[in-house]
Amino acid sequence: MYGDLGYKLVQHAKRTQALAHLPPYQTEIVRAMTREVRDLDKDVSDMLAPYAGSFNPASEPATACSVLVNHLCMRRNKRCLLAYHRVRSDKLEEMCWSGRDVLDIEQQQQGGQGNGEGSAMASEAGAGLQSSLSPEEEEYVRQYGDMLASYKGQWTDIDLTGSLEPPRDLFIDVRVLKDAGEIQTEYGAITLTKNSQFYVRQGDVERLIVQGYLQKLS
Amino acid sequence: MDIDDILAEVDDSTIPQETRDLQELTRTWVNERSAPELLPWPAELMDRVLERIRQQISLIEDRTSSTDPKSSFTLIILQTELERFKYLTRSLLRARLAKIDAFPLHTLTHAPTRALLSPSELQYATTHTAILHRHFQNAFLGQFPEGLRKMDDSSGGVNMVEGPDLEKAVFVRGRREAGVVIGGEGVGKEFLLGKGEVVVVRWGVVREVVGRGEAELI
Repeated sequence: MYGDLGYKLVQHAKRTQALAHLPPYQTEIVRAMTREVRDLDKDVSDMLAPYAGSFNPASEPATACSVLVNHLCMRRNKRCLLAYHRVRSDKLEEMCWSGRDVLDIEQQQQGGQGNGEGSAMASEAGAGLQSSLSPEEEEYVRQYGDMLASYKGQWTDIDLTGSLEPPRDLFIDVRVLKDAGEIQTEYGAITLTKNSQFYVRQGDVERLIVQGYLQKLS
Repeated sequence: MDIDDILAEVDDSTIPQETRDLQELTRTWVNERSAPELLPWPAELMDRVLERIRQQISLIEDRTSSTDPKSSFTLIILQTELERFKYLTRSLLRARLAKIDAFPLHTLTHAPTRALLSPSELQYATTHTAILHRHFQNAFLGQFPEGLRKMDDSSGGVNMVEGPDLEKAVFVRGRREAGVVIGGEGVGKEFLLGKGEVVVVRWGVVREVVGRGEAELI
């Protein structure tokens, strides 16, 4: 039925907004919707073909009505597709800002899934390797990341991607969750080994907290 | 000393430039975060603030090299202050970018809004819109019939380009001793907003007053 797929896609988009991660790209639905739009467009031109450009809506209300309905359906599909893609691209941008490497995470997830399924059903291991990003989205993330890096470069002093929480204390207590090796601070080098605890300057370790190496203790 | 004495001393002319800059930065930041639309880029203020951040950073670097324990206390105060300045600037820039990203096409095509951007923000907005458009184009728009490919379509009764909601309610505080007259469309009766008084009004009604600095958002 007209517009059914659009509704489905918008529901996907709605659900994506509430999720922390990005669900797989609905390649099938997107493809079916573009096909629907093309078919509808073909219907419209077929319907209008006999009139050879001199179509008068007033004299043929029935044809005019179906042409209108087809047009509205196409527009609706377009809006649904735009909404879906916009929600996803916003999500990807957010990930770029928070400093997580989207493409890296993707690959790790793929690796994990691939291993799990590979042992269970070796023949279908290939299916588990599918990324939840479409190739177009991967390209978009790459371009957005480049642009963000160049914009950020103009504001090195204030660290644009830094924390948006108002700073309270200069120094904080952190616990090391994963070995992170040695880091250099103004007060000398610190070796971050798992389960140890430090009192360090927030600015020095912010990145490591975001990446999950350290945990901030309150 | 009584609180009133302190307040009495607070007079614009006696306050040094640095303190006034901080107040102005804070006010700009709060205004920008509360206003539904983009506010003018405070070019001069930002130049001064960034210059001071640079100075502080190099000062702190100089002081750090001398390992005198007595100076480390002042150093902590300096660093805390620096972190706060950085936070204000960062948050201001991010708030602006969030608005630019929310209405990219409106920002770029609506001439008065476009004039409010800083050069680097303009570059960011242009590049972002371009890659977003290319992404949509590659994902599905490219396969659409010719007439439906545009991103800024306003035919069919619906304009695709969204702008900010200028009728959003905002909290405003008067800043002028003599008061500011608030009136116009959407306000039942003109009224005088005295200094320190707080009211809730539509943003469209007070945008000019806020722009002149006679009132501030909270």
